[in-house]
Amino acid sequence: MTNVARTGQMVLIAASAMFFAALTSAMVVRRGLSGDWAAPALPAWAFATILLPLLASWFVHTGRIGIAALAGAALVASQFALLANLQLARIAGAFCFVLIAAHAAHAAAGAAALARFGARAAIFWHFAGALWIYVLFLFGVWA
Amino acid sequence: MIIFSIDHKVIGKQYIGLALFSVVLGTLLSLIMRFHLVYPDAKVRLFQAMWPDGAPGGQMTPELYLSLMTMHGTIMVFFVLTTAPQSGFGNYFLPLQIGAHDMAFPVLNMLSFWTTALSLLTLLAAFFVEGGAPLSGWTAYPPLSGLGRITGPGEGLGQDLWILSIALFCVASLMAAINFIATIIELRAPGMGYFDMPLTCWGWFVTALISLFAFAVLLAGGILLLLDRTAGTSFFIPGGLIVNDQVQSRSGGSPILFQHLFWFFGHPEVYIAILPGMGLISTVLSVFSGKKVFGYKAMAIALVSIGGLGFVVWGHHMFISGMSPYSSIAFSVLTLAVGVPSAVKTFNWLATLWGGRLRFTAAMHYALGFVSLFITGGITGLVLGQPGLDVYFHDTYFVVAHFHLIMGVAAIFAIFAAFHYWFPLMYGRFLNERLGKVHFFLTFLGVYAVFVPLHFAGFVGNPRRYPDFKEYEFLKSVMPLHIGVTHAAYFLGAVQLIFLFNYFWSQRHGAIAPANPWNAATREWRND
Repeated sequence: MTNVARTGQMVLIAASAMFFAALTSAMVVRRGLSGDWAAPALPAWAFATILLPLLASWFVHTGRIGIAALAGAALVASQFALLANLQLARIAGAFCFVLIAAHAAHAAAGAAALARFGARAAIFWHFAGALWIYVLFLFGVWA
Repeated sequence: MIIFSIDHKVIGKQYIGLALFSVVLGTLLSLIMRFHLVYPDAKVRLFQAMWPDGAPGGQMTPELYLSLMTMHGTIMVFFVLTTAPQSGFGNYFLPLQIGAHDMAFPVLNMLSFWTTALSLLTLLAAFFVEGGAPLSGWTAYPPLSGLGRITGPGEGLGQDLWILSIALFCVASLMAAINFIATIIELRAPGMGYFDMPLTCWGWFVTALISLFAFAVLLAGGILLLLDRTAGTSFFIPGGLIVNDQVQSRSGGSPILFQHLFWFFGHPEVYIAILPGMGLISTVLSVFSGKKVFGYKAMAIALVSIGGLGFVVWGHHMFISGMSPYSSIAFSVLTLAVGVPSAVKTFNWLATLWGGRLRFTAAMHYALGFVSLFITGGITGLVLGQPGLDVYFHDTYFVVAHFHLIMGVAAIFAIFAAFHYWFPLMYGRFLNERLGKVHFFLTFLGVYAVFVPLHFAGFVGNPRRYPDFKEYEFLKSVMPLHIGVTHAAYFLGAVQLIFLFNYFWSQRHGAIAPANPWNAATREWRND
């Protein structure tokens, strides 16, 4: 991997982290301001999807990029299934929708980058995987 | 193909062309607004032809005035002040100044420009949809911006297009920021350390870092606002809201939350507009003083300090939002602290001039004008940074005068300096120096004639954003001042034709420039 590709991904990760930090801080403030917060009930299988980015990262590490990209695509598909069952009228559900949709965009971009650039896109993919664990933590534990 | 070129010079010129188009449009909108402020009952056939619903019988409605204000601010802040100094001149000259063959990601660079162009087209489309352009100002505060058509014409599809445009602009700016940062970190010439870079590169570097973090937050806020409008969510819409006699069904949202997200971007945006100019002005003053920049490292550190402090002062835009006095004090102290690195820069600019062999070229004139405007506009920032004073001034023309001088006109003077300084590299010819100096003096006179009196309107308590003052007894004494300002604005607008003529005429007919005509030491003059 060239230094330029590595640095570019690191800077992109900084921007993405800031984007998710902004959404998270908005959620923390919004939850604290009003009494209408009711945690969204994600189905149990949602938490099993944590395995998909972990598997994908392992496939990237072992050089099986095609399978890694497929695992990434499977993650995006599962996220769409989750989005379909969220209620936007409830504020916690709305935040859950936004964060999962934002992650799906990242996961889709990461999987596409793996398919197009191979292991050179590995750093961003690993970040996207860690980000999914963070999103599930937010709604599985904190929210 | 030159349209979708990935060459940084072509892309730089494309950004500059987009900014020139935008500044002409934004200026025309402001002149129409100034006309309406002093002749609110005038019936103008042209207005009726352009906005049949917004100016029935030729008389402008308050809603049309607000939509012009919104579009003027949005066009100027995003498509002129953010675009020209950073993406325009930065794209063209950053690789040349650090010895790189191009930007780190040329295709991303091309995509960034065309996303910006799409963003501008999306914004302008708001003029042509039902209801017209949005009314909620460039800050788009909810609930006005969050409820849709019920809050007024322009708040339907026009506001949706505004948010979509800004979201696209955020994406484009993030792509550009990634490119600038990666280019500076990885593509500097062998042996060139960070403290060997010209201050222009430091300006672009810090601006890119600010853009990276600020636009990411604005994008998040924009998405939440769009969902409030289209999906029935209540991120920013409070419960029990009654609009046009109709109770809104949302509950629990906080308009103040949007203000926090917006100003976390909005204040750094001021520095996105001005820091590239600061870098350039340092270079221009140095070249035309025949001396190195005084206190180079302090200047670079001051740029970083201003950029860093810019992220912790957003609350000073919200002193009147009902925030805790303790928070106000913290934001106030941090805001006043920005004066320290700003003073470092100002005194170092003066010290650079001191004892130098000054050459009063047109670019030097604009650079000196920039220093003057930076001081004049900056001083009133110290006034507005104090909560007790801001509570009075916040919604008055004092603020309009302040921000136009510091982030508007000062940054545009830096752009004028950049045109005169780098024109020989861009087109192989000089901009006409005599026309440039005439334009400088008339513009300098014009901007002070427009914006200094507006401070006095602020003293009187003249509210901003109001389309018509005639109903207010206490503002009758201010009307002669407004009439003077409007005439000065027309003078200022007309004077800009000199620059436009010079810019286009000199591309074909300007005097041929030799290599390095200013005897500058930076790399871009050696590369060509």
